[in-house]
Amino acid sequence: MKPPSLEEMIGQVQKLPAMPAVAIEVLQSMAGADIDIDTLARHISQDQVITARVLRVANSPFYGLQSRVGSIHDAIVVVGLSAIRSLVLAASVMSGLPAIHSPGFSQNRFWRHVLGTAVAAQALASPLKRPPEALFLAGLLHDIGRLAMLVLYPEDFATVLGVAAARDCRLEDAERSHFGYDHSEVGAALAQRWNFPAEIVDALAWHHRPAQGMPGGLAGIIHYADAIAHALDLDQDGNQPGQMPSLDQDAVSALGLDWDSLNAVLAETRARFDSYEPLLG
Amino acid sequence: MNAPLIQPLDETLPGAVLAAPVTDGAGAVLLPAGLSLTAAHLESLQRRGIGMLAICPPEDPEALARQHEKIRARVMYLFRHTADEAGSQALLHAVLAFRQASGK
Repeated sequence: MKPPSLEEMIGQVQKLPAMPAVAIEVLQSMAGADIDIDTLARHISQDQVITARVLRVANSPFYGLQSRVGSIHDAIVVVGLSAIRSLVLAASVMSGLPAIHSPGFSQNRFWRHVLGTAVAAQALASPLKRPPEALFLAGLLHDIGRLAMLVLYPEDFATVLGVAAARDCRLEDAERSHFGYDHSEVGAALAQRWNFPAEIVDALAWHHRPAQGMPGGLAGIIHYADAIAHALDLDQDGNQPGQMPSLDQDAVSALGLDWDSLNAVLAETRARFDSYEPLLG
Repeated sequence: MNAPLIQPLDETLPGAVLAAPVTDGAGAVLLPAGLSLTAAHLESLQRRGIGMLAICPPEDPEALARQHEKIRARVMYLFRHTADEAGSQALLHAVLAFRQASGK
């Protein structure tokens, strides 16, 4: 059977669940909306799964707190609103989408990779003087289109997985070969449906072809953060297949990272990822 | 495993691995055993007035060489289609050095 066109795929994307209410509220507070911290903390606390995951991270050695944090309100005070917003978004996205059981696809590896890309993007924020929260969010969502394709068209995606394994090619190349488009276009459509800011939609759309993204946008940084997550094997124990994406030399040069900065980013990514792992379940 | 080295904080470098948890005066764990220390960890411990650390002793040279080779083979496998691309050069070399130094 013919695979769905991009228009058909995007039409189906509208049927996926909306973002959890708490995530929307966090996004609004990131966008500068006047939201009271007590109210935000109370709303987050109503979701026990998200709260438990966030508190596990806030109490991890990465933050080196002297005493245990027992509530979202205290976590915001001690760890900071910015870090807690990122953690709530990550926990919301991970718990808000349906579980997937498909031969050849590991949902655990998927979430580990996107979390790794998110922390790598966050680590790049400091030397590049860019917004860490927006970069974390873009990293977290950069492959979300793949999950949508898998949920909506599992048989087609099983073919894609088979092609990638047989040809030893990147999954996005196998997607394009089968569907005529890849997860980046689907992810951008989904991010638009979820009313994410234009810079996030742009980063999702162009993270494999950063030259086509908006000037000064986040696509080039997510392009590199994705590669860092693969290179550090953050999605696995180092015994599974994997391969690096091709890196756009102009996009890499534009980042202007020297050797010391790059090493600091790698160390920061690894340390932060280890501390964020409790988010995964 | 060999006995841990007990050494002063100011002689400890990033990358050293804790052989025992670091605790405060009340016994609360500040950093767990097995953690690979970063510069930020070391600064934080200095601010808290921690003087001595229990550090895992360096592995024997042959074991270390085997580990380095295993990591090199893994990194080159990941970069098998892109190792010659100009855009990948800096990341390839930095990741190889970082993963061999950190053992991860």
